[in-house]
Amino acid sequence: MSHRESIEELIYESGARLDERDFKGYLDLCEDGYEYTIEAYSPEIRKDMIWLHHDKAGMDLLFKNLPKHNSDHSTLMRHLTVYKVDVDEAAGEANVVSGLQVFRTELDGGTTELYAVGKQHDTIKLNGGTPKLGNRKIRLETRNLGIGHHVPF
Amino acid sequence: MARTSSEWAKAPNLPESHYVDTRIYTDEDLFLEEQAKIFNKVWVIACHESEIPEPFDYRTFRHPGGENLIITRGEDRKVRAFYNICPHRGNTILYDPSGNTKRMTCIFHAWSFDTKGECVEIPRESEGYQDRFDKSDASLREVKCDVGFGGFVWVNIDDNCGTLKEYVGDALGLLEESLQPEMEVFHYHKAVVNTNYKLWHDTNSEFYHDYMHYFNRITGMMQPGYFDRKYTGYKNGHASVGSMAVKYDAYAGSEDRGVGWPGLAPGGWLLIDLFPGMTYNLRTSVLRVDTIMPLGPNKVIIEFRGLGLKSDTPAERAERIRDHNAIWGPFGRNLHEDLLGVHGQGLAMRDARTDSHYVLHGREENSTIHDEGGMRHFYAEWSRRMGRLASDPERSPKAEAA
Repeated sequence: MSHRESIEELIYESGARLDERDFKGYLDLCEDGYEYTIEAYSPEIRKDMIWLHHDKAGMDLLFKNLPKHNSDHSTLMRHLTVYKVDVDEAAGEANVVSGLQVFRTELDGGTTELYAVGKQHDTIKLNGGTPKLGNRKIRLETRNLGIGHHVPF
Repeated sequence: MARTSSEWAKAPNLPESHYVDTRIYTDEDLFLEEQAKIFNKVWVIACHESEIPEPFDYRTFRHPGGENLIITRGEDRKVRAFYNICPHRGNTILYDPSGNTKRMTCIFHAWSFDTKGECVEIPRESEGYQDRFDKSDASLREVKCDVGFGGFVWVNIDDNCGTLKEYVGDALGLLEESLQPEMEVFHYHKAVVNTNYKLWHDTNSEFYHDYMHYFNRITGMMQPGYFDRKYTGYKNGHASVGSMAVKYDAYAGSEDRGVGWPGLAPGGWLLIDLFPGMTYNLRTSVLRVDTIMPLGPNKVIIEFRGLGLKSDTPAERAERIRDHNAIWGPFGRNLHEDLLGVHGQGLAMRDARTDSHYVLHGREENSTIHDEGGMRHFYAEWSRRMGRLASDPERSPKAEAA
């Protein structure tokens, strides 16, 4: 399997794990030094904003705390399209840009809406053919997320 | 025993000040009346001065009374507000939420206005109007504007209104020292929610709903001092809630907050609700300010701002952002729960046909944290301004008093 193929599989797998709320499975795809960030630009205040930032341990706690909270139980489905893969063999990593669409489906009746769009920037550690997620930055275009969500994109 | 239809429709066995009729949340005519009698008569926050720091910076603002406004800083650094309406053909002048422009020019026919609202250009003016009409007849409609209480830009549509200082009165007294330093907005987002704007303000006006928040139960309700927090009501329907020391590290994954705020004790948390829909929420390291723009009886835009100090070091700012996002960002633990609650209320009482009749505000606990006096204080002011009892909007409070 080429780097590109294994990287694309990893990106899509990471989305599928989150869709299925298989949070352990998702974290298993991540390096120990993994960091996750959701960012957006606000034209109102003309500033870049960080909306969520966690390391791997922080993501693990966020997932483990979920049952203690009251959350919207609509399901999320992430649709990812890998746009660009830049492999740096010497550094043993690749930078990947993907388009992200998040669809939200209400439990009652199953109505689906396009919930958010953005770009996903991943740094992938190649690990000699077993790539893992090293860093993920999601840059959201959508800034009205209604009542919000407890599960990251 | 569960109630029958007639029992369900019966008014609660509480004083009329302790419940409201849900028509005040669902009725279209009452909503339009609120825009005229409340929103177009009171001071409301349009933006923060840090959003327009330089001369010619502007922000557009959808006023809760329905008017679209421009807030702009002039060359003289004074902040002014105008209707965002070209007096020529009624077009929107500025479309973007923010920007910087010396001349505000309508894209339709290029009529142009300066930051004092004066019309400075009408293309082919004399050819078209001869001496029948000129630029001086075409200035913008100015709206009362003031900057204060933490650097917020306030507007009032009513030309005959009192001052901002008179309107706020002593309500922000608990935050007096905390609002002195220069601040900066680092977080902004809007949420459109199918609910009534008052239900959001209600949520900000009562803490009994801390049962909904695991974070607040473990870091607040289970800690000393929580049940001593007191509500105080002020003139014009404003209310405040006293502080406590929140134990942030009681929540797994949440660190104790190291960065504080001038005038606030470590771990402190003060909340002040301003009528009819603004909230200052200072939680140890972050000031959150909510404002509302109702779109109808069951639809509201809620604006959320997170503020830090302008003097923050990068490390301090990063910590404030982290603290903010843990509970208050669009992915925060508490904000989603609060919005889920009012979304559910919107679902349950989306119109009169849903047969929801009354909402109770009846808890009395000596004005402490689970007392619902904050909401009662709000609805007393609502009733006064509307000339209608919140518990029965077809009746007038004056008629009842007579």
